Amino acid sequence: MTPPLSRELQLLLRALSEPLDTDSATWERLLRLARMTALHGRLAAANRDNPTVPAPVRRHLLSAERVCAFNNQMLRAELAALAALCDGSFPVLVLKGGAYALQNQRVGHGRFVSDVDLLVPREHLRTMEQGLRAAGWVPAQLDPYDERYYRDWSHETPPMRFPGRFLEVDLHHAITPVTGSLHFDPAPLFDASVPLADSPFRTLSAEDQVLHACVHCFQDGDLALRVREVVDIDGLVRAAATQHGFWTRLVGRAGQLGLQRPLWYGLHFAHAWMETPLPQSALTALPAPSALARRLMDRLVPLVMLPPDPDHPPPASVRVARLAMLARYHLQRMPPSMLLPHLARKATVRLRERFTHTPAQNAENQP
Amino acid sequence: MTPSAYRLIDLGAARVAVNSPLNDFNAHLDLVYQHHGDGDPLSFADVRVSLLPSRGMRFWKGRVSLWSEATCPFEPYPMRSALPLFEWGSNWLLAQRLNAYLLLHAGVVARDDRALILPAAPGSGKSTLTCALHLAGWRFMSDEFGVLDPDSGNLLPLLKPAALKNRSIAIIGAHPQARLGPVFPGTRKGDVAHFVPLRDSIVERHRHARPRLVIFPRYRDGGTLKCTPLDAANTAMRLGLNSFNYRTLGAVGFDAVVRLARTTRAFELEYGDLSTAIAHIDTLFAEHA
Repeated sequence: MTPPLSRELQLLLRALSEPLDTDSATWERLLRLARMTALHGRLAAANRDNPTVPAPVRRHLLSAERVCAFNNQMLRAELAALAALCDGSFPVLVLKGGAYALQNQRVGHGRFVSDVDLLVPREHLRTMEQGLRAAGWVPAQLDPYDERYYRDWSHETPPMRFPGRFLEVDLHHAITPVTGSLHFDPAPLFDASVPLADSPFRTLSAEDQVLHACVHCFQDGDLALRVREVVDIDGLVRAAATQHGFWTRLVGRAGQLGLQRPLWYGLHFAHAWMETPLPQSALTALPAPSALARRLMDRLVPLVMLPPDPDHPPPASVRVARLAMLARYHLQRMPPSMLLPHLARKATVRLRERFTHTPAQNAENQP
Repeated sequence: MTPSAYRLIDLGAARVAVNSPLNDFNAHLDLVYQHHGDGDPLSFADVRVSLLPSRGMRFWKGRVSLWSEATCPFEPYPMRSALPLFEWGSNWLLAQRLNAYLLLHAGVVARDDRALILPAAPGSGKSTLTCALHLAGWRFMSDEFGVLDPDSGNLLPLLKPAALKNRSIAIIGAHPQARLGPVFPGTRKGDVAHFVPLRDSIVERHRHARPRLVIFPRYRDGGTLKCTPLDAANTAMRLGLNSFNYRTLGAVGFDAVVRLARTTRAFELEYGDLSTAIAHIDTLFAEHA
């Protein structure tokens, strides 16, 4: 099993789903840990009617609730605008936060979203992209290399933004990078997708939503402070587990799509940290990682995903662990023959930026 | 670093805790927060930050970083500019977190429990006018943030030093009662020095006030005084535009600015001379508040 969580992190994870009764100093620490992991909206949602919250803490929860409500409104406005582009000629799936919001899932309450993720069949990708451009969405300005990286090697197009609005739109044609070791044909995702009420969008089936959350959590990008993805997995599993036959379908689906490993890790850490109820049969039905891989992940994942002490810059162990997990991610994303030139190029660009960069550039918005 | 190593500064509407091994910076804090006293470092802080020497690449040597919650959200500043970094960084963090209130970008001064709000875009001479009014006998409530509680409709003091820039430093500094921190030359905003509010105002940092008069100031070099009344609709719109979190608050923000516009009188004031402006504001306040 994973090493035990600190008392503070245990409290935080519990306070995401049930009201918490503690002193204001502990509350302050929890608020800070929650802000570091973008979980403060959930903390606020779970403690909305908690009468024991001290007054200064209540103001912060109210603040988080308002920022979250604004975020949710921006999300809905963006989805409403995107809905106008769906003419029904091909399925358009809303993924992750956008779907949780449209489904009014509990896991979406107090959850911040930073972008709208859409999934369309690859053969309709260009049509959708052109539709977005024609309607005013503008793709991010990328250099030709990054542009090619997205187009040829990624599972999405460069992010698009509508001028004056807040959220980016990410257009996907798969949920795993095409060059990655987990790549699979996404056709079954569309076949099993479900319609969303009062909207032209569809979304993944409950099982596929869990699998996507696991893939995103353990295979996609920088894992630093990604504990909220584990919180997502917990929420999705709890909601779907009430459906008859869910576990059998989930395990079967993971086998069919080749996503057993991310599912194993997702369930393992959700259970360890959030006490997600799972039948023992579910975990044993999945091929477990090797003892070495498991030991490594049990050591590294908590260091990387859970917030360190908010009073200190991250210790060396955390920085090393983040680096190791980043290396793991890159190796899964592309073969070494592609990876080495890619990383060399990124490093050169970063070094060049370091020397041409004027400090305090982000002070520009100072009032 | 332990929690007790923090210095807790009670600003009124919020509390900021700060921790640093830099002696010069701590001396600057002693100076610009001289009347605030030391709060219990273990009690609740809305913002908790550390100012630490930057480490790592040689490039960052001699620079100072602001750490908040184990991350460093801003580029480092030159070591001697730790105070401007702390002031700017803590303001930025407060603006992110105080969404229980409508945060106006405004100076606020008061007579007893009646407040005058001075909302303005950067460069309008807001801080200069706010400090000058304070030195002319008004209670200082805030310079950067006008903190409005949407529930009560009251304004809350937020007693941070006012950041004076360039020519204002000499103008305000010339007043016999004015206490300024050191001048930080050549920051991104030019020269900056921090004005320390007078002790009486800091002692009253928990005393709320009713908004009575709103003046949108605009300094025009050599200009003559021009005062134009504003109707409620225009006032509400301009208050929204001069707020950090109007949009984020949604309906709460809209209701707050409409209520504020309806319960106050508002004017646009163009001026070229501080003492004439202050005399005119005193008259307006006597008539309308």
